[in-house]
Amino acid sequence: MTQDTGLEVQEVVDYVEDEALAQIVDQMWQSYFGHVEPLLPALEPHEVPAPVLCASVGISGARPGLVTVLVEKGAAASLAAALLQEDGELTDEDVYDALGEIANIIGGNIKALVPDAGALGLPAIAEAPPLPRSNSRCAARMDANWQGHWVTFIVWLSGTGA
Amino acid sequence: MKALVVDDSRAMRKIIAGALRKLGYETVEAADGAEALKVLQEGPLPELATVDWNMPVMDGLTFVTQVRAIREYRSLSIMMVTTEAEHGQIVRALAAGAHEYLIKPFTVEALEEKLALLGLLPEVTA
Repeated sequence: MTQDTGLEVQEVVDYVEDEALAQIVDQMWQSYFGHVEPLLPALEPHEVPAPVLCASVGISGARPGLVTVLVEKGAAASLAAALLQEDGELTDEDVYDALGEIANIIGGNIKALVPDAGALGLPAIAEAPPLPRSNSRCAARMDANWQGHWVTFIVWLSGTGA
Repeated sequence: MKALVVDDSRAMRKIIAGALRKLGYETVEAADGAEALKVLQEGPLPELATVDWNMPVMDGLTFVTQVRAIREYRSLSIMMVTTEAEHGQIVRALAAGAHEYLIKPFTVEALEEKLALLGLLPEVTA
């Protein structure tokens, strides 16, 4: 059985860098949000002010991970409406579905960068920041602003599986 | 032409169905593989099915495998439309019987290219 060491975590973290995450987010934005205001990357990390909605998808395999999208709760409906291209009021279910799909798209493309990755989990939504595994590290992070609201994308990766 | 859009995300079903309608398709939707099988059983058989991989109840790969085991559905072209981007996953899906593979996020132009490869672009597009 492989021992979980800091070096192994660092090695796998190196597979996914901020630039790769930013490229995936940019590609998704161009594909599905090209009709609305651009997502503006922040120069420095920014905490998303509470209350928040967090969409996450897990990556199983030799080096488990978690891909999260954190958005201000007040902006989540606007983001979902932009993805759906709908002007009317959305249900909570619609908002959760849209945020989950954003996390799913980013998660699937991140999984392709992780060696020996297993399955991609189904999206989960919480009204709280993510709770990554205790042995995981933030491998990549992108803070951005959209319509005056903060949106943060984070990839957490672990050195070895459970 | 008619297409069955299979994805557990309503947002993604709307995006894919919208793109297909722009290209001249009529669309029906299903939220997972099991629901999609029911749609096929009820008929009529569409020319195309776009299928997500990761779905509850029945995933896309299982759906493809089950469809390919049914002789009456042989004319159905299947395109995986999924976030699963690894080469190995693409090979698995094609080996199971999918005809094309489109990775999310995708543009309408990319979808159009894949349909052209399948010879499934309606002659008149909206």
